[in-house]
Amino acid sequence: MESKITVGIADMKMAKGSGMLITYALGSCIGICLYDKQIKLGALIHIMLPVNGEAGRKNTMKYANTGIRETLHQMVAKGASKSRITAKIAGGAKMFETGGGSLGNIGQRNIESVKMTLKAEGIQLLKEDVGGSTARTLLFDVGTGLGCVRSYGKPELII
Amino acid sequence: MTIKNYDELSSLELDTLKEIGSIGTGNAANSLSSLIGKTVRIQQPEVRIMGYNEAIEWIGGPEEITAGVLVKMSGQISGIMLSVQQLNFVNLVLESMLGRGVENYFGLHEMESSALVEVGNIMISTFINALSSLASIDIELTVPAFTVDMQGAIMTVPMAEYGGQSDYIMTIGGNFICNGKEIPCRLLLSPDIRSLNFLLRKLGVSSGE
Repeated sequence: MESKITVGIADMKMAKGSGMLITYALGSCIGICLYDKQIKLGALIHIMLPVNGEAGRKNTMKYANTGIRETLHQMVAKGASKSRITAKIAGGAKMFETGGGSLGNIGQRNIESVKMTLKAEGIQLLKEDVGGSTARTLLFDVGTGLGCVRSYGKPELII
Repeated sequence: MTIKNYDELSSLELDTLKEIGSIGTGNAANSLSSLIGKTVRIQQPEVRIMGYNEAIEWIGGPEEITAGVLVKMSGQISGIMLSVQQLNFVNLVLESMLGRGVENYFGLHEMESSALVEVGNIMISTFINALSSLASIDIELTVPAFTVDMQGAIMTVPMAEYGGQSDYIMTIGGNFICNGKEIPCRLLLSPDIRSLNFLLRKLGVSSGE
């Protein structure tokens, strides 16, 4: 297997034909795999927050809504057809059980925002492994379109 | 001057925060020392303004399993305080308090976990008490929450909480030294931007409103 391409926090990487994209330790963050099967073009986004509400924020990949839209745009520019692109997502956990407050709801809000944005863009969500309370590392094999979720104390999950 | 982003802090302000880190961590080390009955010293505490991806790159990398104790601050300061405990810290605590350590994190049962939560909570509370009497501010703390998981995901909790305000995270904290050995246990104080400005004003290092 060739070397892996690491996707950081608030980051996105793309690969075509083959390649393994990986993003580590998703807590409340969400990893989104977007894939055009026909031309084997895949992207992995690591978003941290649900909605980009601030003007002038340059870091589009930090937010679910702008991250997904910008990535779709870039995929289409590389020859993908938006109608063929499908999605798989993992993450959105609640790392700490705290009483009340907004803390911990970020994961849930991220899940909702990702799903809403995908729906609004007409992207089919094929598989998901979201919520819960454990961190996830997400691998995305661009050659096959398969995702693999690694968590502490659990067997690997193929999505 | 009121800052809008952590990377706008002046060197005087950074020095002040480092001093807070030093006093807070020193107090926490004292309480740890009396809990485990061993001498605990602190390393030069650090104030770090880090990008997200820099912050999760700690000893062992983002997937390294650690224990984390989290307390939320409210009152005149809002923010998060975290105690991130790696395996040798966990064993230092457990061997001293319960007489036996664990081989890995799967060995943490209820008794072990609650010992770690207590130690984390006491260190955090002493740190915050020192800070609140130093700056004469009221800080309320929530009940501690505990998890064992990848340290990258634990570290991103404060980032996600304040990520809408800044592309950086500020952490104040340091490691402990016990029996001449460096014990990686980070105490991380992450106030939000508003609270940071308030704190600096209270300490008299911020030049006016």
